[in-house]
Amino acid sequence: MNFAFSEEQEQLRDAVRRFMETKSASEDVRRLMETTDGYDPAVWAQMANELGLQSLAIPEEFGGQGFTFVELGIVLEEMGRVLLCAPYFSSVVLAANAILNAGTDAQKAELLPGIAAGETIAALAFTEPNGKWDADGITMEAVGGGDAYTLTGTKHFVIDGHTADTVVVVAREAGTTGEDGIGFFVVAGDAAGLTRTPLATMDQTRKQARLDFAGVAATPLGTVGAGWPALSKTLDQAAVAMANESIGGAQKCLEMAVEYAKVRVQFGRPIGSFQAIKHKCADMLLEVESGKSAAYYAAWAAGEDNEELPVVASLAKAYVSDAYFHAAAENIQIHGGIGFTWEHDAHLYFKRAKSSEILLGDATYHRELLAQRIGI
Amino acid sequence: MHVVVCVKQIPDPAVPGELDPGTHALKREGKLILDESDSYGVEMALQLVDKAGGGEVTLVSMAPNGEVSGLRTALAMGAAKAILVSDDALAGSDALSTAKVLAKAVERAGSVDLVLAATESSDGYTGTTPAQMAELLGWPSLTFAKQVDVAGGTVTVQRQTEAGYDVVEATLPAVVSVTAGVVEPRYPSFKGIMAAKNKPVDTVTAADLGLAADAVGWAGARQRITQVAPAPAREAGERIEDDGESFQRVVAYLEDLKVV
Repeated sequence: MNFAFSEEQEQLRDAVRRFMETKSASEDVRRLMETTDGYDPAVWAQMANELGLQSLAIPEEFGGQGFTFVELGIVLEEMGRVLLCAPYFSSVVLAANAILNAGTDAQKAELLPGIAAGETIAALAFTEPNGKWDADGITMEAVGGGDAYTLTGTKHFVIDGHTADTVVVVAREAGTTGEDGIGFFVVAGDAAGLTRTPLATMDQTRKQARLDFAGVAATPLGTVGAGWPALSKTLDQAAVAMANESIGGAQKCLEMAVEYAKVRVQFGRPIGSFQAIKHKCADMLLEVESGKSAAYYAAWAAGEDNEELPVVASLAKAYVSDAYFHAAAENIQIHGGIGFTWEHDAHLYFKRAKSSEILLGDATYHRELLAQRIGI
Repeated sequence: MHVVVCVKQIPDPAVPGELDPGTHALKREGKLILDESDSYGVEMALQLVDKAGGGEVTLVSMAPNGEVSGLRTALAMGAAKAILVSDDALAGSDALSTAKVLAKAVERAGSVDLVLAATESSDGYTGTTPAQMAELLGWPSLTFAKQVDVAGGTVTVQRQTEAGYDVVEATLPAVVSVTAGVVEPRYPSFKGIMAAKNKPVDTVTAADLGLAADAVGWAGARQRITQVAPAPAREAGERIEDDGESFQRVVAYLEDLKVV
């Protein structure tokens, strides 16, 4: 087993970093976060047409390039590093994997090529106003049978739900509870009876929406009632993806803090020479490096699709979301007053770290999952 | 259409360069990367081949230690193959020797319609190699092109000038040096990166190209760096006391610099 990235994977990282630093500089992030759609269609198209980022980990038979979660993790890490504003996590990570895990081959062949080409933006709507990330959180009921269901109820905190062309909705059969009766459904973004409301989010770099369904016609994706394993796996994959994205942001916070500690002079010496600052930086480095190991290992496990995935997904999500938030908070402290201003980017990372910490379940939730999964 | 692009592999500009204390030449031992100024030529070449509806892009490069990292970057963008001239005898080559080597490499590439090169490298800055190559090949030389078009055996370029641009044309084959210009070098996909690994790189020595050892390298160099001095430290600026009319001094200063 080789844990190091290959030369080609390093070249991918170089290319993606160059692209991200050019196309998602601070001023781009600040411009896009003020918009409702929250992304730049030209950059999105270039990501698809030149770098092929949307299609990277989608299997070749469904219009992708057939690479693995390891390459996807590299891309996500570089995106997290610059706080890229784009529906990548929602469309390529959440929705595409939900379709891969739940759909029939015919459905995958119908839905995935558009996502891979960047022409379709898809979202996964599974959370509800109760804010729960587990099976019990899904209360929306799907009524019908065969190919024709209708959905009524509300999905909340749907990442990029307001801009998605296609929404994959998780609902349950009437009268079921827990992990029973879960099903996936496909709804067009402009379907009759669907009302989409953008939410005002603390982290403006990742948009969310509330989706109200009033008897919306929906096509089932895979077998209705047997969807929990597919959803559980999708959420594990998403947790791995989030860990990789977050570690990119955490690394950037560490670099910003260390750079500033070297140049900011107080009492006649750089503040990095004071133990109080040194210790902060050392702690950040320790956590970022440990987080990287966890995130990379989890990406490898997701790429192999092996039995370790559920355990390492929760481990990586729990560890990295703490590490990122800590790094983002310490970055502000080390910057002192300037770190607390709107003009400095530190707050953008702080807010992304906070939203990423909570999305898909916070560290406490995942430590509990981890404990269950390893049987303690 | 067959377009050859001269690409230089240079030490990473992000890492401070070092000079050899004996020869005053830039140390080029570590990993080398594609000179960014060459990526514009690669992009233009790929677009020209695309527009012509067929053909391919060949890279030529001269680098120590069989270095291919920078070539792989350009191959990942879409170039088809590369000719790399790597030979200890080439160490210390001046611009003319480099031009001789590259011209021979272009001849080795077979039937060539157009050669593109950057106006100058980001580590050497002599800016003379493309014109020297053209002379050695006996082909027309067009320089400072910000846009290149090929039609019916003629290459037409917009030649960047201080005031704007001149439109210049020449018959093919020709050697054109290109500026950063109007194109955005494409970013490689992972598929392209993986494919680049298997694209042919023809690694040859000076002797393979029929160049005598005393015509190139230190032996063939017509110039020697006799002395190196550090760049002068920045001097203090001029201070203008504002008497209400000082903006005119600022305007005059900017006019002097030809920026307004």
